[in-house]
Amino acid sequence: MSAIIIDYLLAAIFSGIPAVGFGMVFNVPKETLLKCAYGGAIAYCSRKFLMDLNLSLELSTFLASTIVGIVALYWSRKYIVPRPVYTIASIIPMLPGTYAFSAIINLITMNAHGVTPELITTFVDNSLRTIIVLGGIGFGLALPSLYYIRYNRPII
Amino acid sequence: MTYEEQTKITKTVIKAAVLMLEYGAESRLIETVAQRLGHVLGVDSVEVSLIPSAIVLTTLSNKKTQSSTTTRRAHHKPINMSIVCDVQKMCYKAEKENLDIDFMIKTMKEIEPNYYNSWLIVFMVGVSCASFAYLHGSDLMGILITFVASSAAMFTRQVLARKKFVLIITFGVTAFVATFFAAMSQIFHLSSTPDIALSSSVLLLAPGFPFVNSVLDAVKGYLAMGWGRWMQAVLLTSATAVGIVLAFTLLNMEGW
Repeated sequence: MSAIIIDYLLAAIFSGIPAVGFGMVFNVPKETLLKCAYGGAIAYCSRKFLMDLNLSLELSTFLASTIVGIVALYWSRKYIVPRPVYTIASIIPMLPGTYAFSAIINLITMNAHGVTPELITTFVDNSLRTIIVLGGIGFGLALPSLYYIRYNRPII
Repeated sequence: MTYEEQTKITKTVIKAAVLMLEYGAESRLIETVAQRLGHVLGVDSVEVSLIPSAIVLTTLSNKKTQSSTTTRRAHHKPINMSIVCDVQKMCYKAEKENLDIDFMIKTMKEIEPNYYNSWLIVFMVGVSCASFAYLHGSDLMGILITFVASSAAMFTRQVLARKKFVLIITFGVTAFVATFFAAMSQIFHLSSTPDIALSSSVLLLAPGFPFVNSVLDAVKGYLAMGWGRWMQAVLLTSATAVGIVLAFTLLNMEGW
């Protein structure tokens, strides 16, 4: 049991650091840095937890970013800061960067060394995963705020 | 309201909108802030049309009989959230205390980005990419090599950004530097997980902001902006991949 707790704590620390680091690259205000770290830890740990429950990578990313979206909505209303300041720094540890780069490297290899079935399989695998994970992140972050947007006209 | 007054209001509102677009705010935020500012300044309505490279903005006054339209080109700059926050705070303050147009012009002139120390950023990005390597299950030597490679890459990126190179060139060269340093782990057999070091050290170039913003825009009904930002993100990813492939070819290595 304690091994699991230490595992999660380490994951929380090591996903909080990138959130702060990339928050600094995007130049977020100083007072939001700590919350970015919390957001990163919440995002990564909830995804890790959901994946430990045997959910797929895509679905757990979607649910984790929904959680971050709700938390960021609460913070942004409390401290009057636009939501992306919190959300984008927080989801940095979940971005499918590795998949995206390897998909395009695959494409270049196919051009250089000829097309083989294995290359096509890895290319389709990687690019599909990239697109679906990114879509999941975007939808998850947008959902909580979409709830507040209503068509301002009567239904009938 | 005279036409001169309205023109001045239009100019001020579009300046706020252009600041937000240039420094990477999502479309809905830009539109709502423009409309709220217009409401505070006393025009009847503000209509905004957004495309990725420009903003067209119209204000209507005198019971929507008098209109003033203007267009501004937006030159995309490195993402800077503190400026977006400042514009949003100005809008909130103006709404709450019912401030006039001179306050807004003065505030926008005085907006200064809060820059962090560049060495601190180099160090933090190095530590961040090292954390990615840890999360992906690298050994200690791999983590150290990732730290060195991504710090060097971030330093390169800052130097190129200071010389005002186009983002695509910056990303390509930075990816080359990161891969070059990280590849040392494979060439000299320093780490048992060289592929993790290689892939983690370029993660500082994953264009998270354009990708996430593009999905947010598209979901909220700004389809053209969504496509534009998606294209921008794909271009940056391709530039990064070209940099990685170039380093692989020079060092005579196979892929990840």
